[in-house]
Amino acid sequence: MTARNYIDVYETYDRFAEGKKVSEKEWDYTIIPRNAQMMKERYEIDFGRTILPTDQDLVDRLFIAGVDMLITTGIFNPDLGTALSIEEDEIYEGLKMAPKKLKLGRGKDKCSCKARRGNTLRKPVIQGGPTGAPVSEGIFTQMIESYAQEPTVDTIVSGVLNTVDGHPASTNTPWEIKATMAEVRYNREATRRAGRPGMCI
Amino acid sequence: MDMSGLNMLAGWHGAGDIIMIEQMPIMGGYTGGPEETAICDVAATIASFALFNCDIHLDGPIHIRWGTTTTRETLQVAAHTAMALDYNTDLLLGNQYYTLAGPCTEMCLLETAAQALVDTASGRELLSGVASSKGTVQDKTTPMEARIMGEASMAACGMSIPEINRIVDNIVSRYEGNYLHPPTGKRFQECYNIHDLVPSDEYLETYDSALRILSDCGIDF
Repeated sequence: MTARNYIDVYETYDRFAEGKKVSEKEWDYTIIPRNAQMMKERYEIDFGRTILPTDQDLVDRLFIAGVDMLITTGIFNPDLGTALSIEEDEIYEGLKMAPKKLKLGRGKDKCSCKARRGNTLRKPVIQGGPTGAPVSEGIFTQMIESYAQEPTVDTIVSGVLNTVDGHPASTNTPWEIKATMAEVRYNREATRRAGRPGMCI
Repeated sequence: MDMSGLNMLAGWHGAGDIIMIEQMPIMGGYTGGPEETAICDVAATIASFALFNCDIHLDGPIHIRWGTTTTRETLQVAAHTAMALDYNTDLLLGNQYYTLAGPCTEMCLLETAAQALVDTASGRELLSGVASSKGTVQDKTTPMEARIMGEASMAACGMSIPEINRIVDNIVSRYEGNYLHPPTGKRFQECYNIHDLVPSDEYLETYDSALRILSDCGIDF
């Protein structure tokens, strides 16, 4: 059936709230493995030993298997203990809303992220940084600056401060928020020091 | 998706921010082997756009035993997932890098280069890394790993899939025998002059040595 509209995050919440009750244990141990196995068999997905696929039909079947997996299984919300559902037309309507290109950063340091469509000659955006790995407070800015000064790096991906003002940045505490704010400041300061103040973080 | 994630998305969505959703499927966990994990990866990527309104997706299939993205199986999941989505949509797709070896080692650079070849050839739009030493050891990441990611990616642009497969197979076979005892490498402070922010001679020599190995494998830098 034709989708009424694309699903925004508010509609997604409503669907979770009205979704089917399911336990996390059942979701993890039964529903996901069973349905993934079912899709593998239904669409005859077999990679063999090839790392990058050379069989176009296999690639297309994998896409359809993924769509079917989402329709058949839905998405789980562990806080509400429910799973939402989505129809095929709603999926394609949502994919139409996705951008085909983005501008990342500001001014001369801005870079363009555009759909490449296969292995074109246009290189991907290179996002350099510790990628969520823990970094000491004392060297955080210097480390990020050293990434920002790399010519091949287009944007920055931050690391994680282990401490802020000497306090452990423990999860679900105000120190975690303070550490996150500090990371943002340190990252911006680092790109300025590297002479790339508009670099996307 | 939990309520914290959903509430943050609502705030960012309302503010008009560019939203990147990160999701790392565990290969060998609840989702099973490479094929089942790739099916779930495609489904979760699509959901990130169609249900959670992201603008770009950041993948990162992780191996349950080794905790890295650079194994043969996780490269296979990432490649198949990306190509399935790339051929059938215009979605913006990224992937992130978790190596087993630490900075200032040939293995770390080879792991990174192998994945950069796969991600570039499978049509991804963004490469994000590198969390060396599995991203778990304090200060064990340096920009030299990001440098090889970018250099290998640029070298791979435009190459044919069979050619990339042959090269990646060769590179992976040079490091996959070291999984039980990977070189732990050095911390940023040991790899860089912390005042001038330049890499050490030792790391530059290691980098050049890795480039020679990659050239032998067929990459034209």
